[in-house]
Amino acid sequence: MSAQAFFIGFFGLASVWFGVVVFRTHSMMRSALALLFSQTALGALFLSMQAEFLGVLQIMMMATEMSIMAIFMVMFMMDPGGLGEMDMTHQKRLSLAAGFVAFAAAVAAAVFVDWGPVASVAPDAAQQTHDLGVELLGRSMLIFETAGITILTAMIAATAVAMPPVKRIRNK
Amino acid sequence: MTTALVLLLLAAGAYLVAVLEAWTASGRFRLAAPVVAGIALLGRESIVPRKPDRIFFEVAPVLLLLSALLAAAVVPLTPDLIITDLATGALFINAALVYVLVALLMAGWGPNGAYAMIGGWRFLGQLIAYAMLIVMPITAVVMRAESLLTTQIVASQASLWNIIYQPLGFVLFFVAAMALAFLPPFDLPTAKGELAGGVEAEYGGVRLAVFRLGRLALIITLAAATVVFYLGGWQGPWLPPWAWSAIKILAVTATMLLAGHAMPRIREADLLGWCWKLGIPLALLNIFIVGILVLALP
Repeated sequence: MSAQAFFIGFFGLASVWFGVVVFRTHSMMRSALALLFSQTALGALFLSMQAEFLGVLQIMMMATEMSIMAIFMVMFMMDPGGLGEMDMTHQKRLSLAAGFVAFAAAVAAAVFVDWGPVASVAPDAAQQTHDLGVELLGRSMLIFETAGITILTAMIAATAVAMPPVKRIRNK
Repeated sequence: MTTALVLLLLAAGAYLVAVLEAWTASGRFRLAAPVVAGIALLGRESIVPRKPDRIFFEVAPVLLLLSALLAAAVVPLTPDLIITDLATGALFINAALVYVLVALLMAGWGPNGAYAMIGGWRFLGQLIAYAMLIVMPITAVVMRAESLLTTQIVASQASLWNIIYQPLGFVLFFVAAMALAFLPPFDLPTAKGELAGGVEAEYGGVRLAVFRLGRLALIITLAAATVVFYLGGWQGPWLPPWAWSAIKILAVTATMLLAGHAMPRIREADLLGWCWKLGIPLALLNIFIVGILVLALP
């Protein structure tokens, strides 16, 4: 077994394990940071697959996103410290069934889809970054710009909804 | 070998930062002060507060140190003195330093104390303020170098340093770096006098020593990154490259420490307001100007 295969397996398992921890803990903070480390392990998985830019980006983006999620979980849940030992799971049978179906579908897709010829050698990291940049400013530009504008619109709308209504004082 | 040498230099740098910090704070220049303070800290009891989140409490100081060290791994001190010259170096510095936030959140939540928790969450707000002002000026630096390699970024400044090529970006990055290292006037998460030390409040003994060491490593790493991005890295006449790197890094550190010394601590809401209403438009303007310069000047 090559070192690469070992690390891919290791980070894959770490990611799944942290994913399980998300639901095994009672503390909102631990739950949020377990999800972060699950995503960080995915970033490390990308790194061991020689997709350097993707890996570093994943490791960077998830840290801020999950930390921000943590404060919202702490603000909105009734027992953020987990002292009351609130159960993080519900609808267990349905969730189990859905989980198994989704897992089977993912495995089936991985095994039965014709992926075409697999690249034997990955281009070096600087070349990958260059190619990704060209791709983002070429064929994929419309998709990314549309997504960006949509997210911006959602952010402005969410801020507008969250602001308290302005009381207008009428002159009588 | 290179790794050991860089770590040794980083330790020496952190020591000098500690001397400089004490000097700017108290006005007394004492070379032995950090040793004395370190021994005193190691000799004290490292108290664990009641009902802590033990994992976070123990991991936080180590994670702070680790994220600073990881960021330092891609910062070149001379053309050869770099631990790993990643093809995504400029991005990797960000990725590593984001975990400073995670460490401070852990340090805030872990000890089960009110002051610490307020300090930790404050730093999350602080990140929302400074994060874009770290990333967007780096974008402009990378645009000029046409590479994310940190060595390539230094090489791109051979004719003209970025501090002159894009002064606006330098000012924004410098201020944001101070906020990232929670130096005064941006020391909101620790806030001595107001939060009684904030995230540091519940730590003592060896854990506090590791936390402080991590903070010193963070300051020196950010100063080194500023030198690489804006001050031409190891380049300079007469002296050897390592000497130029050392002089520039210490000068930037001293400036960072002195700049905030006489200022009152900024309020969280004001920091957010200034960064988003003034900082981000200026950063976008910087990218726009650099874009034109890159296209106009071959």
